[in-house]
Amino acid sequence: MATAMPSIACLGLIGRNNNPLHISIFPSHDPATNTFAPIRTPLQFSLLLSSAIDVFDLRAKHNAISGVGLSGDFGLLHAVDDRLAAYGFETNTGVRMVCVVDMRGRRVDSSAAGSRGVGTGLRDAELKPVFRAMQNAYVHLLQNPFYDPDEHAPLGGMGGKKITSRKFAEDMKRIGEGWTPGVSTL
Amino acid sequence: MDGYPAGSLDHNVPFLVAAGLNTEANELPLNAELRDQGILLRSELPPLETKEAEVLGQYFEEINAQGKSWSGVEREEPHRFRIRTLGRSFIFPPRRARLPEDIEPLDAAPVLHSPFSPLSPVSTLYPDGLIDAQWIMKHQELVPSVYLCFYTLISDPTSTTLHDNHIKSDINNLKSALARSGYKTRLAVVMLGESEAPLSLTDGISERLENIRRGTALDPKSVFYIPPQESPTDLKGVIDSILGVLYTSAVEYYRDLGRHARKKRSRGIAPQPTVPPTSGTSQTLSLSDWNFRYDFKSAVFAEFRQETDAALRSFEQAYEVLLGQDVLDIIPSWSPRWNEARLLSDIVAIRCLRCHMWMGQTTLAVRRWQSHRDRISDFVDRRGLGTNNYGWQAWEARWAMVMANLIEKVGVPDLAPATMAIFLQPEKAVLGERLQPWELLHHTGYWYRIAARHTVARRRLAFEIPEDDRNPPDSSPASLVASKAYTYDTYMCPEPFREYPVSGSGVNHSQLIIDCLEKASAQYKARKQVRIAAEISLDCAREMANLERWDDAAELLRPLWEDMSFRSEGWGDISEELCWVVRRAASGAGRADLVVAADWELMNNQFHRRPQWTYDIRRSLEGVTTESTPSVSLSDDTTRSFISASLVFRNKEGKAGETCTAQLALTSHTFLDAAPLSLDSLKVGFNGNLKPILLEHAPAEDDKPVSHSGVSISSITLKEDFSDDSGDELPSLLTGQTDLTLKPGQTRVFEMKIPLREPGMATASSVVLSHKNDAFSLDYTLRFRETDRIVGWYIEGSARSRHARPQARTIQIQPRPPKMEVKLVEPLGQYYANEPIELHIELLNSEDESASVKLDVHLFGKVVPAIRVQAEGHEGAAEAGEEESKISGLVLGSIESTSSFKVVVNIDPAKVPATFDLHLRASYHLASDSATSIMQTLPIQLNVVNAFEANYDLVPRLHTEPWPSLFDYEGLLEAHEGDAVAAAKGFAQKWCLLCHYASFAQEDLKVVGMELKVVSCVGGARCNVVQGPNVSQDGILVTPKTMHEAQFDLAAQKLSLDDRQPVTLDLAFIIQWQRKSRPDGVVNTTTMPVGKYLVLGTEPRVLASVYHSSGDEPSLVQLDVTIENPSNHFLTFGLTMEPSDQFAFSGSKQTTLNLLPQSRRTTTYRMLPLVNGTWVRPGLTVRDKYFQKVLRIIPTEGMKIDKDGLLIWVPGKNVENKEGDGDADGDAQAEEKAT
Repeated sequence: MATAMPSIACLGLIGRNNNPLHISIFPSHDPATNTFAPIRTPLQFSLLLSSAIDVFDLRAKHNAISGVGLSGDFGLLHAVDDRLAAYGFETNTGVRMVCVVDMRGRRVDSSAAGSRGVGTGLRDAELKPVFRAMQNAYVHLLQNPFYDPDEHAPLGGMGGKKITSRKFAEDMKRIGEGWTPGVSTL
Repeated sequence: MDGYPAGSLDHNVPFLVAAGLNTEANELPLNAELRDQGILLRSELPPLETKEAEVLGQYFEEINAQGKSWSGVEREEPHRFRIRTLGRSFIFPPRRARLPEDIEPLDAAPVLHSPFSPLSPVSTLYPDGLIDAQWIMKHQELVPSVYLCFYTLISDPTSTTLHDNHIKSDINNLKSALARSGYKTRLAVVMLGESEAPLSLTDGISERLENIRRGTALDPKSVFYIPPQESPTDLKGVIDSILGVLYTSAVEYYRDLGRHARKKRSRGIAPQPTVPPTSGTSQTLSLSDWNFRYDFKSAVFAEFRQETDAALRSFEQAYEVLLGQDVLDIIPSWSPRWNEARLLSDIVAIRCLRCHMWMGQTTLAVRRWQSHRDRISDFVDRRGLGTNNYGWQAWEARWAMVMANLIEKVGVPDLAPATMAIFLQPEKAVLGERLQPWELLHHTGYWYRIAARHTVARRRLAFEIPEDDRNPPDSSPASLVASKAYTYDTYMCPEPFREYPVSGSGVNHSQLIIDCLEKASAQYKARKQVRIAAEISLDCAREMANLERWDDAAELLRPLWEDMSFRSEGWGDISEELCWVVRRAASGAGRADLVVAADWELMNNQFHRRPQWTYDIRRSLEGVTTESTPSVSLSDDTTRSFISASLVFRNKEGKAGETCTAQLALTSHTFLDAAPLSLDSLKVGFNGNLKPILLEHAPAEDDKPVSHSGVSISSITLKEDFSDDSGDELPSLLTGQTDLTLKPGQTRVFEMKIPLREPGMATASSVVLSHKNDAFSLDYTLRFRETDRIVGWYIEGSARSRHARPQARTIQIQPRPPKMEVKLVEPLGQYYANEPIELHIELLNSEDESASVKLDVHLFGKVVPAIRVQAEGHEGAAEAGEEESKISGLVLGSIESTSSFKVVVNIDPAKVPATFDLHLRASYHLASDSATSIMQTLPIQLNVVNAFEANYDLVPRLHTEPWPSLFDYEGLLEAHEGDAVAAAKGFAQKWCLLCHYASFAQEDLKVVGMELKVVSCVGGARCNVVQGPNVSQDGILVTPKTMHEAQFDLAAQKLSLDDRQPVTLDLAFIIQWQRKSRPDGVVNTTTMPVGKYLVLGTEPRVLASVYHSSGDEPSLVQLDVTIENPSNHFLTFGLTMEPSDQFAFSGSKQTTLNLLPQSRRTTTYRMLPLVNGTWVRPGLTVRDKYFQKVLRIIPTEGMKIDKDGLLIWVPGKNVENKEGDGDADGDAQAEEKAT
């Protein structure tokens, strides 16, 4: 069974107004056809990311009561089914990062399969580099003087623009494609 | 879990039969043959019919219900039973199956087996079945672990022995019957005391019980006695403790059975059936099969004992055997045994899952769930019919449902909705491991959703079944049926022709999906995961649409639709999907409002263009059946719009009575090939002091082409509509007409001149777009919000607006600027106290037309005098008051343009200096525009000061008249008899008041008269002003800041000679004056209080007076020294006159004067000055002989005093000099007084 290992299926950035800032979708390996294709439609990924907002809210409320979770790393938000699971991170400014992991998204070469305990699961900590890299990319984006964060989460809580930066999208692509369990820097 | 055979998954708890409590009898739920072979247990005694029996029956029902629960048995729980309450008889199932009748005689004596065993031909399992639910049912429902009999212990002493013997024999019968049956069921007896005649313990009960027990050879722990209890609760308590004891023996019973199963397993041989099978494959069970049976049995018995650990171990063992290579692997997949084995594997797996959950191993449970799924899928792929068919998906859905049901039935408290937990943290045993995310047990919503997903897959696969396979078997040729027989995996799901028949209805997949989704949605909603719930609702609505349950779908979606959260948060693709689903559902349900709303929203070009879709709102309701022409009201609260609107005022401020230009811009963001939208009217609403604007559609004559910029600006003339019943004379509506067609991508700008009427703030709040066609009418309300994009001013020929400024949809309307002038005519520089103030006000109408004016006059101050206003025939007055006085609303009537109107304001004289603020406010409206009220004010500050200031000096003078004598008795008599006025008989003094007054005015004043007024004279004296200053007819001209003097002579006389009290005089100085500039000669009177003076004291005083002889030069000067003794003492004074070289004198140089009480004496010196034109100093000293005290000599006219003594003026040659020095004299005296 251990012929598949986790990969990132989708990276999402959600703004302070619960508005989608950025969505990157990555293909997963389909063992039946031996091709790579996204396992859900963009609409389904949108729904999936938006459903993470509820968990963020729920967890934030819970964290506020118990006084934990100051780091912003929410770990596993919820499992969607037996392939997809959503992990989350929230910055101090209320920007939320969601990483949807496909637990069987990548084929394992038979040579590498035995070396690591792949396919057996995932620890929350293994997603930390992803969020760190996403946060770095976002910080780089904020350093761009032409990027106005207020346009992307205007006061009044109604929507906002999406991120159009090509560099940011490339960063996301790099992160999404570069990550495998055990990678410590991206 | 419904598909699994009844009883196969029950929570196994010890089974107990309570006999003798009612008249029920049990029947074996077996086939007729076995039922006949049942073993009957019967007793002769009648069942109990007491109240206790009823209570116990009910209580046992409760315990039984509790026993059916799947919740884990806690360690501290005293007992958990399934209880059957019956009469006096009980039928056991047959212990051994009989030999089939039609069988050929066997060689050896046949070994008979249980009818539930695959060894007995009577069993359904014969010859190669593994095990089935009937076996579990036998132990759970047919064969009790404890047979509990209830008897009454009779208290009637006459029949006790007889009765006890009856019981004894009954029990013995039961015992022997039980022993004969072969079952190891424990027998227990409960004796109930009779409640009518309770026995006390001393009545030999224990002996009787012991007797019965011994007579029946029962275990002491199996005989119980319940004395009559006071309340049912007590009875239940007693029964609880009895059941607690019985529970241990029940557990023992199942332990024995478990031990038996293990013993059989350890024998290691496969038993042979009673009769070798002759039909079918004639295959019998192998050793592994038997091992599975034994393991399964011991696991179930462990569960009976609530030994979860042991049960789990045995179940796992059984599972491994079952799925090992010797059992399931060798069963052919076409055999019905294959499905039976799969069912068994499911049952074992479910029981394992349940054990995990009881032990709190939630992650292990999920792992177990997953591993069973994986193994079975592997098996099905390898040995069965593969996983790519509807049967497998059906099982997958079922398997997910199993997990959800298990969580519900076992009850995982940490996952209850109240905890808001989405998933559970892993238990300690696996905490450090790498876990799959779903291995953390998620709540049931997750599992239901998975089940729904698999059901969807099942439907998809079912739809792929070729039509041939979907014909019912009886309608197709037998050969075909045979060839198709094993093509489809029908494990726990219908055959293809039932799953998806060619004709008729098969499995209602959509309903199955909706059921799952609704359950899932409830769970997600309970945990406030509203977005997932929304997603599920969306799926659910699609399924409902498949079932054409349009109304349900529309109802389900409506809250989502109105909630808008996806749209407002910018999840474009989700809202698009929502729109289309809503459109479809609403169109099916005939909900015109929702259809129109969805269409309106879908017109937005942010969404993807759907090919072959007509984007025309007019044709929205085509194909939708509605009752009548619906009128739809939408607003941007619930529906997004493809039209954006903005309203911009040209200026930040405007003035009432003027107009302000404003631009209403409507932009259509729709697909370029959409139909133009033609509005019937649009209405702009304002907050504040602007009335709504209504624009109506008027078809344009010339079809102006849209400019390439896409912006077209049209000017609109607005008309004011006055409603009849409005009281404030303000317009109620502004109307205009223009072409209101909006083409796709176009921006229509309507430029309007809005007449401003009321002052204040006005903010555009909303615009209502109204559209009407044959099918429906639509109102769409767009609200302007703070967060809207800022839009600037459009000009012709440019697509972009310029000069964007924030708050452009707010205008500050200033009041209409007044052109009426209010001014003060000929103001005086200064107003004085005690002077009536007259102000002339002129109102000059500079407006272009006549105005009707009202005047308000306000006067503020500390103490406000009365005011009076006179205005050409109109008059108003206000009383004096504190703080303010006010004349309001004095109607002045109409003033023609450029003409003026005079008003006189009279203010009564102020008594004291003060400051007044006079506010004049003229409010008016023009004849042509009575709606706008205009106001003009004139504030005037009046500073009222005193015109004069004065200081005073009262100096003594010598009273020339003689003093009355004590010895003049005639005068005394007169004093007694005469009237009060004439009767001043006391001694008199003469004084002179010197008033130095100065004008503090800013202009010349004319003093026309001066007076001294004796305000009061206290102390029994009379005081008269003898002489005052003379004022000429023309008066005295007093220039500002100059000092003037006025002298008043006063004569004060005591009324009585005996009275020696000093007298207090209070004087007032009155000046009558007028302004020199005023011709009318109004005389004002200013009264200044002089102050209080003491006169007519009793102390002796020395008055010096001087008389100049006239003519001679140097003249002779007579100096009189008058010593007054008003006291009652005889006084002696010594006078000394020093010689001087300034003058020669005659008179005693040194003399002594004796003064009688109340007398005065005068000594005269005649002096011949040797100098002239200067002051001479006579060295005169008066000394009280008795007190040796020098008396001060008081000077009178023509004298002065300094610190060295008296000075006398000797007139010189020029008279003017003297005049000046005379002034100096007064000054010196004033100085003296001051020191």
